Formats: sequence, structure tokens, C-alpha cells
Amino acid sequence: MKKIISALFGMLLVFSLNTSVANAAAKEVRIAFFLEWASPNQEDKVKGAFAKAFGVPVKWTNFATGGEMTEAMMSGDIDISYSQGLTPFVNAVNSKKPITLVDVSILYGMKGTTCVVANSTGISKANASQLEGKKVAVALGTMADYVFKETMRVVGANPAKMTVVDMVPEDSAVALVNGDVAMSCLFGKKSIAKALEAGKLMLSVQEASDNGIAGIDVTSVTNKFLKENPGMVKTFLEITHAANERYKAGKSDFNVIAKDATMDVKSTKEQMASFGFPSTKQQKKEYFGRKGILMTYLDVMGNMFATAENPALKDYSKVVTTKYLP
Amino acid sequence: MFTGVITFLIIFAVIGALLYGRKLVRTEKTDAVFGNPDRAKGGVHWIIVGSSFLLLSWLYFSWDIAKSFYPKSANELCQVGKVTDSLLSLKYLFPIEERQHKSTAIIQRENINIKDKIIEVNNHPVLKSEDKIIFLDLLEKTKFVLPSLTNPNLLEEKNITTINNLTNRIIILTKEFPKNTYPPPLNQEEETKRIEALKKQQGWGTTGEEVPTLPESKKGLKFHTAAIELNEISDIFFEMRNHNPQYLKITEEIKTIANKYKDNLNDNQDLELSWIKDILKLNQRIEYASIFPPKALNQMEQAIRDFDKVQNKEQGNLKFIDAVFFPGGTILSSGPTCSEDGPGRWLPKPSDTFRIFGDLLKPSVGFKYVPMIWYEMMGVNQIVGFILPDWIADLVPGKYPVHSEDGTVKPNFKSKVLNVVTGEFEAFKIPIPYGHIWDSFLRVFMGLMLGIIFGVPLGIFMGLNRFAKGFFDPLVELYRPVPPLAWAPLVITVFGIDNVGKVFLLFMVSFSIMIISARAGASGTQLSKIHAAHSLGASKWQILREVIFPNSLPEILTGVRVAIGMCWGTLVAAEFLAGTTGIGFVENIARKYMQYEVIWITIFVMGMLGLLFDVTIRKIIDKTIPWRGKG
Repeated sequence: MKKIISALFGMLLVFSLNTSVANAAAKEVRIAFFLEWASPNQEDKVKGAFAKAFGVPVKWTNFATGGEMTEAMMSGDIDISYSQGLTPFVNAVNSKKPITLVDVSILYGMKGTTCVVANSTGISKANASQLEGKKVAVALGTMADYVFKETMRVVGANPAKMTVVDMVPEDSAVALVNGDVAMSCLFGKKSIAKALEAGKLMLSVQEASDNGIAGIDVTSVTNKFLKENPGMVKTFLEITHAANERYKAGKSDFNVIAKDATMDVKSTKEQMASFGFPSTKQQKKEYFGRKGILMTYLDVMGNMFATAENPALKDYSKVVTTKYLP
Repeated sequence: MFTGVITFLIIFAVIGALLYGRKLVRTEKTDAVFGNPDRAKGGVHWIIVGSSFLLLSWLYFSWDIAKSFYPKSANELCQVGKVTDSLLSLKYLFPIEERQHKSTAIIQRENINIKDKIIEVNNHPVLKSEDKIIFLDLLEKTKFVLPSLTNPNLLEEKNITTINNLTNRIIILTKEFPKNTYPPPLNQEEETKRIEALKKQQGWGTTGEEVPTLPESKKGLKFHTAAIELNEISDIFFEMRNHNPQYLKITEEIKTIANKYKDNLNDNQDLELSWIKDILKLNQRIEYASIFPPKALNQMEQAIRDFDKVQNKEQGNLKFIDAVFFPGGTILSSGPTCSEDGPGRWLPKPSDTFRIFGDLLKPSVGFKYVPMIWYEMMGVNQIVGFILPDWIADLVPGKYPVHSEDGTVKPNFKSKVLNVVTGEFEAFKIPIPYGHIWDSFLRVFMGLMLGIIFGVPLGIFMGLNRFAKGFFDPLVELYRPVPPLAWAPLVITVFGIDNVGKVFLLFMVSFSIMIISARAGASGTQLSKIHAAHSLGASKWQILREVIFPNSLPEILTGVRVAIGMCWGTLVAAEFLAGTTGIGFVENIARKYMQYEVIWITIFVMGMLGLLFDVTIRKIIDKTIPWRGKG
């Protein structure tokens, strides 16, 4: 009995130590990012510029999806998520998670996330309603989910009548090639290339952007960290935007970025060329206003992914702020 | 209300069961010694205690008890949370919840940073000595920035006034706060607006509203109003900068030198550029940190401490409720919303969970357009078409009909057979269950059955025959240790995304377990029994059927029990792969949309289904091998 009690006390002690470390004021800044998703600030990341500017060490953790970033932020293991997709962010704030959007980090056209329809089905956007009753593969809860719903709206097909199979992009590409699904909505350079072996784009990149379908990645921060270390958030965005400017001036070191993004230099350059990194001026003017691009997207997506338990917010301006933009 | 009744019922049940247990111990006479399995028989009252304990922990840690007994507490705690939230930034400056003043911590850290930089510059192998001189000069100057901020004589008059004003506001708030007259009544228009908004507010835990934010009680309103005032104070304070003329002079000097130096750099002097930027960053950090002279904020600190004490006292029994009924966390106010922070967030309340489960069970709602479990009417023809292979029609002599000149097709016998085997005929309809739960159930059942059908004969064969043992042993032993999920990446490529792949994974699990158990059972048969059968003139088949098989049944059935557990374990992962239906699919999607209630429902359903399977098997074991453990 004594042993049990002392073991219990020991466990309690360890647990309380754990929590006290987790709550300690910014002895370390923990940032989430994606691999194979190159951004100019990765140069600063490798060269330690963030740690120098914060004055405390920085811990970078890579994630597979934006939803996992939210989960880690909620468990207190991540402070800042860089380039989280807008879809997972919307899902997070719809379910009342205390996080705030502070920056639009990356814009990407439909080269990065798209729907590919199998050649064998003979379906194109002209007769897209034939997809109804067929199987389609979608990475649910990601930006691909959003692109799927938007694309179906544009081509006039009813997604509720299709059998949606939830698949990660790698599997989804294989399923399309095997003929298991009629269409697959996916992201990632390699997966899309694989899917295109057996299919073609439902909407061309141009058509997608004409219809207002675009991918937005954002930087989100836990409200706790914002309250405690507003200066660090500001510094983070300053360095990131300085890196973006450096990239636009053609002064980025692609070797470093490619290595950190685990890609080769050529595809890194290609990928970054297809990305947009909106400047702070542009963001304040075009994105964050009442009728701004970001706010419109938040409203559309918020309602698109609302569920009975997690309905859309009435006002998304409460979960975004421009206060920390340099 | 309902939860409250349940809570009391549970407590009564536990007490009753315990009393019954005591009585039983006193009255029951048993001659079973220690180690006799009879001693473990019976004990329904302990089942009641065990499950009640489980339910009670769930009710308690999900804060459902708090919700049913103190439904208003969350709203009030939310208002308290607002006050805590508004004080957070200010409190953070002082050693109230931290060990040091924030200024102290920053100065300590930056002094170390400056010192490290100086050492680094001195020892840098690449930097030129003239650059080093400039950098060292700048760093030395940066050292003097700090004293200019911490010297009380340099603190500007306007900042002193602001600090005093803010301190006074906090002191007045502290005085007013406990009074009954606080907050001062709003004017008519604002009051009606407030009441209107309150009417629209839904309760705690209502769909879409985690914790209602607007204050509902008098006490809540008090805290709410104080939080607004404190937020204002905090904002004003943090807009204030301690940038006195002396400080500005030094930093201006540093910036001019640094910028001049930067302008003179050419494009390939990246190293120098990064150094000068670092030094500027260091200065910038100091610029934005709220550093004040050590004693300048003492009165403010005291005022905040006093207010904290008063508001703590004002919370009254709310503090007790928070401590007792909100284990492991509290209600947190953050930004525009209040949320549950702690187990209340990720452990959904039983009442919510069952309500949502009830919703999901409605066939018209379901999950992703598919009900959890329901039935659809399916024609017998479809079932016949599915079971009979189509090539039966090809075996019928003759040819399929060709269309005639008048544009009609006349069916013959062969085409009629084809219609039957493909299920194209009229037939009555029977209800067939379908839905997420049914699909998962069917997959496990199929995988298990296939495993038994192929595994048991092969296992017995391997236990009895040298060739079979030698031939199949390497094959089975090689694949058996591989976790079934290792096959997962191949499944989609080889079997596609339909049920075949998922059932295959489950089959792989049950197959090896069945082989091992059947083999162990067969080879473990007592030789004397086989000899006895032999001497009575039994044939090989009779020995196999009447002696070996019944003797290996206990092992086989235990194997089935193990296989069921493993199959459920694998099922969820299999359904993650390419999900369209199934419990695992539901859980995976719920995770993506952060529907924690649904996740718990799936866990609950899987537990219940696993239990159902296990109970069934236990019944089968009791029926078929009653002699087990008695031999």
C-alpha cells in the first residue's frame, strides 16, 4: 500500500513538473511547419536568425496536416503554426479553439491543390454531373476538400450524390490510376503528377483562379502565446516578411531552402515560383478589410465546413488581427 | 437535471452493491480453497460497482456533474476568466505568478546576449578588424541603453503621470468592486440592449455554444465590467513607451552608425550585413520591451495585488465550485470566446455524447450521408446475382440470342439463365441492414470467418502431418510476426479501395492466430485418447472428428477470442486507409473536424461491439466445451 501511495505521489510530482515547464514563460518558441512546402523564411530558420532575434532558442516541428498543427497547439506543444491551411484553421475556430490568425503566409494557385478526373470515365467539366453516383477520392478536412466543393459548384455537380472516399493524396493518386475512383482531389507535387498519368485537370489553373478558387495558407498563434509574448510574434512576422522581400529581390539562397524543405533545388524554385507571398501593405489593404479577400474566404469556408456541433462563427474578424503585421 | 438524477442513482447503486457484498461475505459459506476458480464465480454487485465507478469518473471529469448541479457556474467562471485574461499582460510584468519582474528577466537575458556577442566578435575568424571595432563600439553603446531605461531620474514626467493615473484607476476599481452598487447601472437604452442580447444567448454546452460569454448573473456582470476597465488600463499601459530623451539619443546614435555602415556594404558582404542586422535586432528588442526603473511601478504592482485579493474574495463559493467540480482545469476566457480548458474540452460530457449519439442513430441524419445502422429493402434477385457466378450461363449449351431484323431481341434459355445469375429478375424484397456500424461489423465478421475456415483445417493438418508442417511452417512463421498494418500501404494498390482490401487485412490477422491455435490444439491431444479410439477400431476420419477436433476446440476457441480483439484493433486502421463507411472512418473524419463527442461515440461503439463479440464467444465456449478446465 505504501509503495502504491508513494508511486502515485511520484507520478503527481512528475506531472506537476511537466505542466510547470509547459507554462513557463517562453524559454523556447515552438513553431510548426510543413516539409516539401518551401518558403523564403526557411533560410533564416536554418541560419538561426529566428533564435537570434527572439533571444531564446526556437524548436521547429514538421507536421503532415494543418489539423495536426491545431491539435499540437491545443495540447500546448506548439506556439506558432506557419503556413497552416485556411481549412484546418476554420475548423479549429469553428470548434472554438483559442487561436488567432496573424498573417497570410502563402497563396498558391491550383497547381498545388486540384481535382484530377480519370480519362477512362470520359468526364470533363462539360458533363461533370455524370460524376454523381460515382466514387471520388478527397483528402477531407484539408484544402483539397475545399477545392473539391468549390470545383463541383463551378461545374454544376452535386457532391452530396457522390460517394466520397477519404484518402491521403498519395493513396488517392494510386486509386485514380487503378480506376477505383472517377476523380481525385489532392495536393502535393508528386501526387498530382502521378494522378495526371491517368487523368486530366477538372479545371485548368486559369479557370480555377477565374472562378475565385485559390489556396491560402496562414500563420496562426495560440491566444496564450499572443498575450504573453506579443513582441515575439511581431518579430517572427518581421523576419518572415523580410525573407519574402529578399526572395522577391532574387536574393534567396535556394540551396539552403531546398535542403530544409527536403526537395531538390529545381522543384523548390518551381514550387516557390507558383506561390504568392503577399506583402504586409497588400494584406492590410486587400485581405483583412471587411470585404477583404481573406475575410470573404473565411466566411465561405466557415459555412462550408460548419457542422451541427461546430457551426460557423457569425463574425470571423474576431479571430484575425493585423496588430502584429510589421 | 437528468444527469443529476443519474449521479444520485449511481451513488445509491454503489452503496447498495457494497452493502450487499458485505452481507454476502458474512452469510455465504464456501468450501472453495484459494486457487479454486469457483471463488471467482458470480459477483454481479461488483460489476455494478465497477461500471458505476467508470460512469461516475466520466461524469465528474467531463464536468457534467458541475453542469447539472451548477449550470450557471460556467458563465460566472467565464466572467472571472475575463478578469484574469485582462490582468494577464499586466501581472506578467511583476513577480506575482512569475519569479522575476519581466524587466529584470529581459535585462538579465539581454546582458548575457550582449556579452556573448562581444566575445563572439572578438574571436570571430573571418571578420576584419576594422569591422570588429565598429561592432564592438555598437555593442558597448547598446550596453548603455539599458541604464538609460532603468534610471528613475530619467523617467519622463508624462509617463509618471500616466502610471499614477492608471494606478489610481486600479485603486478606485478595487474600492468600488466589492460594493453592491458596482457596476453602476447602465442607461435605459444600453440596458435593454443587454437584456435583448441575453435572451438570444444559449446555455452552456448547447450546440455551437461552448460556454455562453455574456454575463447572466449580477456577480458575473461585476466581473465583466471590471474586465472591460482593466483591459483599457492594460492597453493604455502598453502603449506607453519609456523612451526618454537620453535613451533616444543613444539609440539614434546606434542606428545612424549602423545604417551608415549598412549603406557602405556591397552585395557580397552577407556576413557583415547579418551581424549589423543582429545588433539592430538586439536594440529593437530592448526598444519594444516594457523596461522601467526598478521602483517606478511598485505602487502599480501593489494596486494589482490588492485588486487580485479583492476579486478573489468576491468570487466566494464560485472558487469552491471551481476547485471541486471542475477537476483538472477551469473555464478560460480567450479573445471573443470562453472555452473549457482541461478535461472538459477533450472529454465530452456523457449527456452531450448520448444526445449526439441519438442524433447520429437517426437514419435521416447519420454521418456523412450514411446512417450509423439502419436497413434498406433489397431484392432477393440482387442477392442471388451476387452469390451465383456469372460464368454459369456460359456453360449452358447454345448461343446468346442475336437481335432479329425487326429490331427485337428474343430471349432463349441461355439468356434467361444469364438473367438469373446476374440478378436481373423480379423478386420480393427483404430488409438488409446497412450503415457504419453494420459495415464494420461485417468486415470483422468476414475477416474472422475466412480466417477460421482456412486457418483451422490448415492448423490441424500441420499439427498432424510432417509434410504439411514442414511445407507451410516457413511460410506461416515468416508472415505471422509482421504486423498486419505493414501490409496497409500495398492494400490500395493491389486490392483497390473496396471491402476486399480491408477484409484481407483482417483475414491476415485472424488466419495466423487460427493456424497457431489449431495446430497447438491438434498436437496437444492426449495420446492415450487416440490410442483408445484406435483400439476400438476407429477410422482416421473418426479419430480426427471425434477425438482430435474436440480436444483442440478449447485452444481454437481461445484463438478466436484473441483474433477478435486483434481484428477490432486492425479494423480502425484499415478504415482510415480509404474510408467510405465504417466506425474507423467516422472516427477519422470526426478528428479532422474536431468533433470530440463523435470520437468518443466511436470508441464507445467499438468497445460495445467488441464486448458483444466476446460475450457471444464466451457463451459458445460454455456451450460447446463445458468440460474445459475440468479434465
